[in-house]
Amino acid sequence: MLDTLKLDEVVEFAENPEPRCPCVLLLDTSGSMQGEAINALNQGLQSFRNELIDNSLASRRVEVAIITFDSHVNVVQDFVTADQFHPPMLTAQGLTTMGAGIHKALDLIQERKAQYRSNGVAYYRPWIFMITDGEPQGEFDDVVTQASKRLQQDEASKRVAFFTVGVENANMNLLSQIAVRTPLHLKGLNFVEMFMWLSASMAAVSHSKVDEQVALPPIGWGNV
Amino acid sequence: MDTLSQISHWRVVAASVCGVSHIKTNQLCQDAHHWELLPDNILVAAVADGAGSASLGKVGAMVAVETAIEEISFHNLTQEVLQDDALIQEILTTVLVSAKKTVESEADACNVQARDFATTLILVIASPQAIAVAQIGDGVAVAKDTNGNLVALTLPDNGEYINQTIFLTSPEAIDKMQFKLWRLSVANVGILTDGLQMLALNMAVGAPHKPFFFPLFDFVTKAPDRNEAKEELVKFLSSEKITQRTDDDLTLILAAFHHHY
Repeated sequence: MLDTLKLDEVVEFAENPEPRCPCVLLLDTSGSMQGEAINALNQGLQSFRNELIDNSLASRRVEVAIITFDSHVNVVQDFVTADQFHPPMLTAQGLTTMGAGIHKALDLIQERKAQYRSNGVAYYRPWIFMITDGEPQGEFDDVVTQASKRLQQDEASKRVAFFTVGVENANMNLLSQIAVRTPLHLKGLNFVEMFMWLSASMAAVSHSKVDEQVALPPIGWGNV
Repeated sequence: MDTLSQISHWRVVAASVCGVSHIKTNQLCQDAHHWELLPDNILVAAVADGAGSASLGKVGAMVAVETAIEEISFHNLTQEVLQDDALIQEILTTVLVSAKKTVESEADACNVQARDFATTLILVIASPQAIAVAQIGDGVAVAKDTNGNLVALTLPDNGEYINQTIFLTSPEAIDKMQFKLWRLSVANVGILTDGLQMLALNMAVGAPHKPFFFPLFDFVTKAPDRNEAKEELVKFLSSEKITQRTDDDLTLILAAFHHHY
């Protein structure tokens, strides 16, 4: 065979960093999540990681950050690609400073995008995935109002896609006023299935081309 | 053997292969390509990438490339026509408008929205002394002159997000069309869809990657047999080296012109 016919040996590729698909998990770790709920959530995080690393491209493209909100807001995990992601063991205590949590998540995304841009890394539209079993508690009303307003502006300008999942007795009515997208109600404590869906969705986004919307897998773990 | 390709001094090798992600989910390859050799050493070639989010992106892509090539061949292109900037831009615009209309009426006939047929489209007219390109959406067309200079004729048209682009079916498609007319002694032309973008371009500066294109151009220049060459190109596009880096559908048209002085 001619030399010219060994294309895979002679053709070299440009060294571009992989495009990134950022996803913030914004998690309620208030006291009411104690016990079974927080255990199920921790288990869900493990399966999220396992699913992502099973997909070689998604594991290099999907970046995960975790922010928890209880009486305080904590960045438990700053952005890492899935192959570097080791889920923390979360514990539940205190109040529900959801508004401050939303602000922090939007800040974190803004900073990350600036880093991508200054490093010439291409990226996909970031996702925030908020999980709560209650409603804002322990912070001033205007913090929540402002967070909600900011979130709605960021959704309108497509800066972020924000999803809300209510667990058990979450105040679905109030949640639907805070976010733009209709909140979903988790069936029982089916976090494992929910995170498997999230992983499949992030994988779909991370190799998609969109007109307006990426077709996401059907949701079996919750209802509107 | 194609008799026309023996008369013409163009050699062309082209392939579209299904991305790994589409193979896994049993989806069709949503890329399409088509090319033709016209008299007076004119090569016309088109590639299209149907949107993954569009239910019938594959159909949109096929209709787009076939209409574009058919329409452009009605325009009696000659090397002389390529001397006239305004005329060539007008011809390319007319053809793209016509491709857009055909895709939209096809969608209409199938009782679906035009956006279900969303596709990008790159159309190239190449002669020995000039290349004209019109592009809607992402992907890229590159050229190499006989002195070995490699240039990107167009650039991927992405928004803030890497998976965001405009489509032939978008309302602003024709306004946002990229047009380029390049006049030099042409050695090679390459056209590709976005699946290969990250491998073929230095994205930070938007320049074509020489170690990617030079061996491929060398390959098409020396390819002795078209069928064998196509088989080799398909094999290359399906090789593990590529599928490790991209799981998208891939299309590559490579052309070489043999100048005889």
